This record gives sequence, structure tokens and C-alpha cells, in this order.
Amino acid sequence: MTDLKPRRVMVERFHLTDRGRSGIEMVLLYVLSIGGAILLSGALVAVTGNSWSAVFGALMDGAFLAPGRWGDTLVVAAPMLLVALGMVIGVKAGFFNIGQEGQLLMGAMAMGWVGTRWGGPGPVLLMLGLLLGLVAGGAWSGIAAVMRFRRGVPEVISTLLLVFIALQVGGFAVTTDWLLRDLDANRPSRAVASAALPENIRLPVIRIFGNEFNIGFLIAFVMALVVAFLLVRTVWGFRLRVLGHNPNVAQKTGVAATRMGSAALFLSGGLAGLAGAVMLAGGASGFRVTTGFSQNIGWQGLLVALLARSRPLVAIPMAILFAALRTGSGFLAATGVDRKIVDVVQALLVLALLIPPAIQFIRQRRKALAQAAEEA
Amino acid sequence: MTTNGEELSDGQPVLELRGMTKRFVDVVACDGVDLALRPGEIHGILGENGAGKSTLMRMTIGLVIPDAGSMSIDGEPCTIVDPIDAAKRGIGMVHQHYSLVDDLTVWENVALGEHGAIDRDATRSRVKSISLRYGLDVDPDAYVRDLSAGIRQRVEIIKCLRHQPRIIILDEPTSVLTPGESEYLFEVLGEGVRREGWAVALVSHKLDEVLQASDRITIMRDGKVVERVLTADADAPSLARAMVGRDVALRSESFALGASMEGAVAVTDTAASTDVAPVLEVENGAVRAADGAVLLDGLTVQVRPGEIVGVAGVEGNGQTTLARTLSSLIKLDAGTVRVDGEAIPTGKAGSMHRAGIAVIPADRHHSGCIPEMTVAENLVLSSLDAMSDRGILRREDIAARAGELIEEFDIHTSGCDVPFAQLSGGNQQRAVLARALSINPKVLVAHQPTRGLDVGAIEYIGDRLRAAADSGIGVLLLSTDLGEIAALSDRIVVIYRGRIIGEMDRASLDMERLGLLIGGSTAGEATP
Repeated sequence: MTDLKPRRVMVERFHLTDRGRSGIEMVLLYVLSIGGAILLSGALVAVTGNSWSAVFGALMDGAFLAPGRWGDTLVVAAPMLLVALGMVIGVKAGFFNIGQEGQLLMGAMAMGWVGTRWGGPGPVLLMLGLLLGLVAGGAWSGIAAVMRFRRGVPEVISTLLLVFIALQVGGFAVTTDWLLRDLDANRPSRAVASAALPENIRLPVIRIFGNEFNIGFLIAFVMALVVAFLLVRTVWGFRLRVLGHNPNVAQKTGVAATRMGSAALFLSGGLAGLAGAVMLAGGASGFRVTTGFSQNIGWQGLLVALLARSRPLVAIPMAILFAALRTGSGFLAATGVDRKIVDVVQALLVLALLIPPAIQFIRQRRKALAQAAEEA
Repeated sequence: MTTNGEELSDGQPVLELRGMTKRFVDVVACDGVDLALRPGEIHGILGENGAGKSTLMRMTIGLVIPDAGSMSIDGEPCTIVDPIDAAKRGIGMVHQHYSLVDDLTVWENVALGEHGAIDRDATRSRVKSISLRYGLDVDPDAYVRDLSAGIRQRVEIIKCLRHQPRIIILDEPTSVLTPGESEYLFEVLGEGVRREGWAVALVSHKLDEVLQASDRITIMRDGKVVERVLTADADAPSLARAMVGRDVALRSESFALGASMEGAVAVTDTAASTDVAPVLEVENGAVRAADGAVLLDGLTVQVRPGEIVGVAGVEGNGQTTLARTLSSLIKLDAGTVRVDGEAIPTGKAGSMHRAGIAVIPADRHHSGCIPEMTVAENLVLSSLDAMSDRGILRREDIAARAGELIEEFDIHTSGCDVPFAQLSGGNQQRAVLARALSINPKVLVAHQPTRGLDVGAIEYIGDRLRAAADSGIGVLLLSTDLGEIAALSDRIVVIYRGRIIGEMDRASLDMERLGLLIGGSTAGEATP
């Protein structure tokens, strides 16, 4: 009704003090919710009649402290980080690609195909395999992009459903001669797994302080820096963020949703595909493509991105944390606790880390609504 | 208050408001308004957007609590605390914006406001009987999403009538209706008034409609009642004059005098000479919404360099569609947009922007800014190419450019890296304006550029638009505020139902005729 908003000065002052206070509040909220998750996990272990400290010790040993373990953790962290980075690019552009599990498998199959079917010098094939892995993952999410921009099919649904098609394609590929089928007719498991990558097409391994890990993590780490740079420092990343925040402003200033969104979805899937190629060349499933090759890395990478709240550099420690829970759980058997407990801990942690931003979001929304109501 | 409305009295009022006053911080929306509604009568409440009509009505049904004033129903003083209370006392309101749930049926929507268990059959038969009684013809089992705007309004009316109100308030009831639907609505109303003795308050800014439907008219301006007449004694020109107000015209003149009368006159002279080629031409622009509603209906408008063309009109007559078309957001179904004589593809990302059209949208958050990004990022949004080297952003340049604009446009912010959302409304608008002008546009489209701003910011934006025109930019000003249009424009056109229905020069500005035109009444056009 009234056209004037004379609250300007007050609102400005309010914001300034508000900012500092909410910062402290956020830290407090994180401490409380993570503490709550740890307490709950401990209680759960205690209820099953086991010792929480023993479980924690086993997890730490399995993830970092026991000989050679942190190297393993980094090997697992690499594809999770790559998947998360892909998710970040999609989210920043306003698109939710949640089909990484399938895109990752497509990437691994591309790598496997290059490695077992093409001939040539090892390093070149390795590079080509990684590149083709990226393209294959991107093509898989590209299908979702085409459906999104041609027919308006929500990419959340199409990327997810494409996972199940990818699994079928995987099953087909490992049993098809001209694709990935092991040509050694005498190997017993050739119906479910491809031939192993030749040794000269595997990722180089670094040995340091009694740990060994392939350069996959370095690739992922560098990609995190690249993605962060792309998003923050380049015109392309700027435009991508504009599209993600406000498609109208994007359209007005010359960012076509179709083109930019397709690029974002392609890259999003591409990074998942690269993750698959890195996993295969890094020795996952004994350098063989299987139908269950993805091992939930696609889903977990999604969680990593979620917890990093779409910040590429924050995704690095988050990926290591999740990888640590995974490798650490391997040591749990000795304590008599089922390794499934790790899934519960992981879920509790995810919830704990999401509570503070959720509270913040709800508060901001309420404030905005109250403000809007006042102005109306 | 000032006028003696009681003289017109010929029956005992069922509802009386005295001295109703409401301030929003330091804006007085309603200032000592008296109003009496009588049974068997339709009382038209006429005024421009922002005249205080809706606030008055919202106080009546308890949506807004008055700062001062008293109410009485049937002579008994009373206080109404909320709409439920109002309904109990026999006051019902049909709102301008419908509050219906699309995925529910008509009877389910009607049942939404009820207390206790839902009685399906009773509600359905209730809807049917009300529908039958007033000739509303609404199927209780139809889903709301399948209904047209006109039928949806009938559902709202049924929701209002099921409480058997004696006093019915309609807030801009025809704003989304077709002429046929409007006529039907007034038939139904007239019937109810005659048969049941309803007291109806009809809030509107449409002259013709109030003249046609009401028995008595109260005209509001700037929160006050400026005139009360019996409809039988009223005519459109005098109503238009009262609604727009002599002092608005005076104010606008002083505004222009204070700002840049010289420039305005000089520019008007050059603009009047038609040998200057228009910088922006929209020719026969036509757009239909997905549901078939006509948004633009062969709209043609031209803007020459250095002139401000004011597009006057009541909200919802195609202004938003026009502004969005010029923001590359909407593709015209027919017609062309030309800049400097060159046809620009519509609806193609960035095409209008590249052609040199900058747009200040009515709703900043729709296409004007990105609250989540920083102030600096928002300021350089349209000039990234100049701020980068082979695709890499030059951050120092961005900061420097943002700093310049912040200073030049006097944007109050604690820094250029704070989120844009932290700026106040006035400063956000300054930033949107700063960005629009920073790309050196050929055409500046300003849609409601001062809505929601305080007086200082309003003046500032007005000065900036004038200055932009003086520097040779063609300015298209879309506004529902006639004062603003009159103060700033060299040439005024009137938009109504998606087309331009009249035009006048600044020199021949006739507020009366303007008032008639924006109400859609082209009667005055016979003798311009």
C-alpha cells in the first residue's frame, strides 16, 4: 500500500551488528551439532555393548595411523573429490546432477575400453583414457541436458534414472566382445569383470613415509584448484554463477541458459567420468571394470559437495573425511562392531553439518518474510 | 472530514468509519478518513494506486489495525481485531489477489476457512445453493486450476457470501477480468444489493466502472478523502480531475522547474521535430501468455534520442511484458523491436542488452540484481568483457569500477565485497540504475523506478533519468504514478490492455484527459 520504505537506516545498522553476532552463533551451532552427532554415535556403540573409544581408535588406525593407511585414504578420496567438484559446478549453475554413480561407471568403461582395446604407448593411452573418461561421463549427463533444454525434463530425475541405465550398459559391455569383454576365455570371472588394465596404462604411484598412493589424488586436488579458479576468477565462472542465482538476469545480460546450462551439466558429469577413469587406472576392483564398479563413490561424492556447501576448496577436507570413514571402517571388525556403524556415523555427521545452515536459512527466510509483510 | 459527506445521507448507515488513520513509520497511508456504507447501496471508492483505499478497507476487516479512528456497525461502536471477527459481524471482503488452492476443488476451497469437521455434502450443497441464488454458475466439484480468472473470482465471492455478510468489500475486483466478466460481476452485485440490501464498498481506480456500478462515490488521494459525490451527479472528467488532483499537476511543474525545466523544454522542441529518427521503436508488439491471456495487443511506441517518453497506465496493462521484452526475457509473438532502425531479435539471450537497451525492472529481484552476489559483482554484471583479459577477470579493475560507481551514484554500503542483499532498498535501486547507465546505453527503460523508495531517492532517480535524457539517451519511463510521469516526461502515452490508446505532448498535458485515458475511457478522445 504505502510506497515508502523509511526503515532503510535502521535496517542497515541492524545488518552490521547482525553479521558479527551470527558468525559466532554459527560456530557455536556447528560445535553443538557435531558434538551431538558424536555423542549419539557413542551412545549407539555403547548400546550394542561395545567400547566407543575402541571403535574410535580403530577408525583412526584404519584411516590414518596404521602403516600405509593414509595413502589408501587418499586413493579413496580422489574420486569422491572429483565427483563433488562436478556436483559443485552443476549446483553453481542452478542444476542438480545427482547421477554421478552412473556417469562414473561410464567414465571407467571408457578408460577400460581405451586401455584394453587400443594400442600405443602407455602414457599416451593413459592420458587418452582419462580424457575419454571425462567425455563419456559428460556425454551421459549430456543426455540429461538435452532432455532438460529440449523438453523441460527435470535433470534431477533424468540424471538419477540414467544411473540405472548405465548399470545395464555396464553389464552389456563386460559381456560384449567388441566392448570390454575379457578376451581371455579361460578366466573364470570374465562374465562379470573386464580384463585388467595393462601395467603401462596405470596411474603412477607415489611412495612416501611407508605409504603409497597413486597420483589420482593429485589430479583431484589440482582439479579443485582449477574449478575454484574457474568459478571465482573467470568470466565464464561469473556467468555460470549468474545463471545459477538468477536465470532472468542471466538471460538479460546474454547468458543463454541452454548453452551455459548444457556446459555445466556436461562438465558436471565429465568430472564424475574422470573420477571413474581415475579409479580404474588407480587400481579399483583390481584394474577391472565390473558392473558394481562405482561402489557408491558417486553417491558419497554428492554428500561431500553437499557438506562443502558447493565450495570447491572446502570439498577437499570433506572428501578426505568421508574417505577416512570408509577406509577406517575396514578396521572395525577387530572391535566386534559391525562396519555398518560407519554408515550411521556418516549419516549423523551429514545431518549434524547440515543443521546449522538449515537453521540459518530458515531464519533468513523468516526475516525476509517479516520484512516483506511489513512492506506490503 | 473536510467535505460534508453527511449531506448526501438518505439512510441509516450500516457501517460507519470516523477519522480512520494509519501511519507506516512516517508515511500516512490513511489520514482521518470518514466513510459510511449504507444498505442497498454500492459505494465506489476511487483513487490512484497508493491513495490509501486498500489500507482503509484492510482496517475495516481487521487486517490492519488503525492508529486512530473509530468504527460503528448499526450505530454500535465496535473494534474489529481480525478478519474472522469481521466475518462474525457481517463484513466480508473479496480480495484483489485470490487465495485459492489450485489443486483443490471449489467446495474444498470453500471449506478451507471452516472450523471443525468438514462436511462434504453440506459444503457442496451450500456452494450449489449460493451459486444458484446469485446466478454464479460454479460447479462445486471443479478443480480450481481448471477455472478461468472470472470463475475463480466467483469462488472467492462464494467464500465471502457463505458467511452471509451484510457488508461486502471488493478490492479492485475487475483487475483480472474481461469486460464481459466485469459486467456479469456487477449484475450479480446489483442483484444482491437490491434483493438482500447489501452494503457494498467497491474499491477501484477505473472511472468508467465506478460510474457505471456505484450509487455514491468517495474519492481518495494521498490518504485523504478529497471528494464525495452521488454517482448521479458525477461525470468522468470531474472524477478524473479529483482523482489525479490539481496539486499533483502543480507539484509536477515545480518538480520540473526545480530540476531542469530548461533542458526539458529544449529537448521537447527537438523531440517534437519528427525528423529525429527514433532510437527505439516497438512496432505492433503482440504477446499472449501460455493461458491465452493477451499481454501485448499490437503495441507501438517510439522513443527518440534525448526524450523521456512516459508510459502512463494502471498496473497490469502490459507494462511488465513490455519491460521484459526489452530485457530479452520475452519473445514477441508478432511485431518488431528496432534500435537505431535495426530489428533486434526478441527473446534471445542478451540481444536487447547488446543492442544498447538498459532496463531498470519494476521488480529488482526478478531481473535487476543478484542478492547473493557481492555489490561489486552486481555493479559490473553487464560489463564483464571490459573487466577481463582473455576470460580472466581483472579483480582490481572490478573493484575500482565498483568504487567509482558507488561514489558517483552515492550508494551507501560498508564495502564493495559485501552481499548485495545487505543494501537497503534505495541503495539497491541506485546500484541497479548505476549498472544500467554504466554501459552507456542508447535506450534506458525504467519501470516503476521509484516505487518503494523514500523521497530523497525518488528525487535522485528522477534527476538521473532527466540527466540521462539530456545526454542523448532515449528514456522510456513506465509508471503508474501520474505525478512521476507528468514531472519527467517530454511525451506521454497511455497504455491500456496491452496497447497504446492515447498520446500527448508535455506542452499539451491535460491531467483530466490523462486520468480518463488510464481508466480506459477513450470518450475524451472524440474531442481531444
